[in-house]
Amino acid sequence: MKKKVLSVLLTVAMTATLLAGCGSTAAAPAAEPAAEPAADAAADSGSADTEEAAPAADEKADDAAAADAGSGEVQEITFMVWDDLEASEDLITKGYKDSIDRFNKDFEGKYHCTPITTNLEEYYDKLNALVAAGETPDVFIASPGANLNDYAMTGVAAKLDDYLNDGWKSDFTSDAVFAGGTYGDEGGDGPGIYAIPLNIAAACVFYNTEMFEDAGAEVPKTYSELLDACKKLQDKGYTPITISAGTAWCLSMVAGYLCDRNGLNLQDIKDHKTDWMDEKVIKAGKQIQELSQYFQKTAAGDDNDVATAAFYNGEAAILIQGSWAIGQINGSCAEGFADKVGVFAFPAVDGSSADPNRVIAKSDSLCVSATSQYPDAAVQLVKYFVDDTAQKYTAEVGGKIPVTNVQYDASVAPPELKYVMDVFKNASSTFGFYNESLADTEAGSTFDNCFVEIFKGEDPATALQPIEDYYEMNVWE
Amino acid sequence: MDKLMRNKKAIILFIAPALILFTGVLFIPVCKAVYYSLCNYKINYQPKFIGIKNYVMLFTKDKTMAIALRNSIFFMIFSIVTQLICGLILAALLTNIKKGRNFFKNVYYLPCVLSSAALGLLWMFVFMPRLGINQMLASLGFFGGDCTLGPQWLFNTEGYIILPIWVISFVALWQYVGQSMMLYMAQISGISTDVYEASYIDGCSKKQSFFYITLPLIKPMVATAMSLNAIGSLKFFDLIYNMIPEGFLSHKADVIATHLYTQAFKFSKLGYGSAIGVVLLVLCLIMTVLINKFVKTESYDM
Repeated sequence: MKKKVLSVLLTVAMTATLLAGCGSTAAAPAAEPAAEPAADAAADSGSADTEEAAPAADEKADDAAAADAGSGEVQEITFMVWDDLEASEDLITKGYKDSIDRFNKDFEGKYHCTPITTNLEEYYDKLNALVAAGETPDVFIASPGANLNDYAMTGVAAKLDDYLNDGWKSDFTSDAVFAGGTYGDEGGDGPGIYAIPLNIAAACVFYNTEMFEDAGAEVPKTYSELLDACKKLQDKGYTPITISAGTAWCLSMVAGYLCDRNGLNLQDIKDHKTDWMDEKVIKAGKQIQELSQYFQKTAAGDDNDVATAAFYNGEAAILIQGSWAIGQINGSCAEGFADKVGVFAFPAVDGSSADPNRVIAKSDSLCVSATSQYPDAAVQLVKYFVDDTAQKYTAEVGGKIPVTNVQYDASVAPPELKYVMDVFKNASSTFGFYNESLADTEAGSTFDNCFVEIFKGEDPATALQPIEDYYEMNVWE
Repeated sequence: MDKLMRNKKAIILFIAPALILFTGVLFIPVCKAVYYSLCNYKINYQPKFIGIKNYVMLFTKDKTMAIALRNSIFFMIFSIVTQLICGLILAALLTNIKKGRNFFKNVYYLPCVLSSAALGLLWMFVFMPRLGINQMLASLGFFGGDCTLGPQWLFNTEGYIILPIWVISFVALWQYVGQSMMLYMAQISGISTDVYEASYIDGCSKKQSFFYITLPLIKPMVATAMSLNAIGSLKFFDLIYNMIPEGFLSHKADVIATHLYTQAFKFSKLGYGSAIGVVLLVLCLIMTVLINKFVKTESYDM
């Protein structure tokens, strides 16, 4: 009998420890962050203090504060971004951290935001995993394109029109800034705005003015002038262009520009009026091969950071990159380098009738989870990313184009921003990154890979076969 | 004890925790994966049953799958052969040296206990175009002193089995050879010294005793180590993921596990990813059965 009792006890103990081992890890992270601010709130005696504690918070804070202040419970929300808020040197990321800190300070005892940080490469994987697990972050960052479309159509991201029409929308420079965040023709909560843009970056050509002067190169207006300039730079012993084919989208951004300058219309491909074997695409491929003789020798292996570093370390004369690179360059370059940097728009292709003033633009946008427990807190957090302090920072420190009508001091802003603004103002229209504008993420990735193969020397018509096949099988059905 | 073994309730009680865990975390998910592999299942959407379409696609139209299969099978053969040879040599050497056996055992086993993610990064730097090996060779006067002209260890995509796959195979060998060595050493130290003494009296040389006594007696462990190697190299993922940039060199450096990852998590095609997972599972099962069938394991009384 004793043995029986003992064996039952042992089994129960074993099962219990096993189950406890599984259970505790899942519960802990959710419980901990919530516990701390709750304790803070308890110490903070009552609702009256909550509002007094935030004198710095302007009227935005006040109207949101009224609703649940009496409950005394802190509304905990999460925010997910593609960088490490604590460790990053990127100035834009530092601005995000500042916005969250201000939010947490102004709403202490009422709202609290915990950031979930990850890196860019794994961002969407992790976000999708959280979405699938029903733990969508309350606020998350996204690039307009195939991914965001999915979030809008499947009811992951909330429609934000009601909040915007409440007077918020007039803060923004124009309705056009929302173009990238408008989705939902056949799903979600119907057509509307699902993402709030935080900034605009335009893809431009950055160049080292000192090297250009030394080599006697002129700022090119056309593709053939660009080749001339590269030739002069190379003859003078400089590496003309630094680019990353290891990070495929960097190369495919240039490919996108070339396709567009050659007159390709992506909508025509989508509608199957033409295909990827179009001579305009093939020509773009040949141009990439032509340009590649001026790339740094390790372009195939260098990742984006290494390629960008080669520019701000003065190893190469030209960097074709989005204007977000300003934040990266100024966060890491040597003193005085920023004054040597010039910016010009991607040159036109000789003999092409395509509009040479189109610019690739991209905005980081914030979405609010449709299943958020505290949508008001989440929207309030988003407002802190587009308020005057944040937008001033975006322009003056981060060097990105702000999305609101904020007055910023152009003399403090990085000198490159002015040039980018000039390019942006002269733009006749904008278009997205090719890899984010295609049918879906797989199509975008296939496009990237095709151009990496072309860059490595494969015949354009052969190298473009995979994207042609992909469209044949999945898009043009 | 006998009484306990006859008691059905006790048996059930003792088996229950393992059974529940196995069913919960392994059996049910595997069954679900098999079901999803027959569905068109995009993340955030509802799964839609489509029969064996995913498999048809996988084996007839998916060029990446063909490359991934080729690379994975190469990995498997390479690691089975090299780990068997190197592991055995190391084990034989270490059991025969008198001083420093434990020290070297630890040295060879050390990479095994380190995180593959960290090792992947470390080796990536070693094989980077501007750092590591190329820089070292350049400073010794190779490539005319310019490290950027050296071989692109991790980015060259020429040849049937591309250079990066060879490089990573060697890194994997370096990382896991300690494990095979330990398995063989454990088995070798289990062989009674009487057998060796008898052989020496009969005039056997050290070399002969290795081939006629050690090898046959550790055969069961060879089968085990081979199965472990085969399964390990088929589901190989972490080093490739960490050493090769996103896109896996236009999928030329893909193996089955990275293809699964890309399809399921990058492109959100969970159904298709499940199908690749099922193929991987079947391959692992086939390999284990094959190895156990062909490496005959007779146990001797030692």
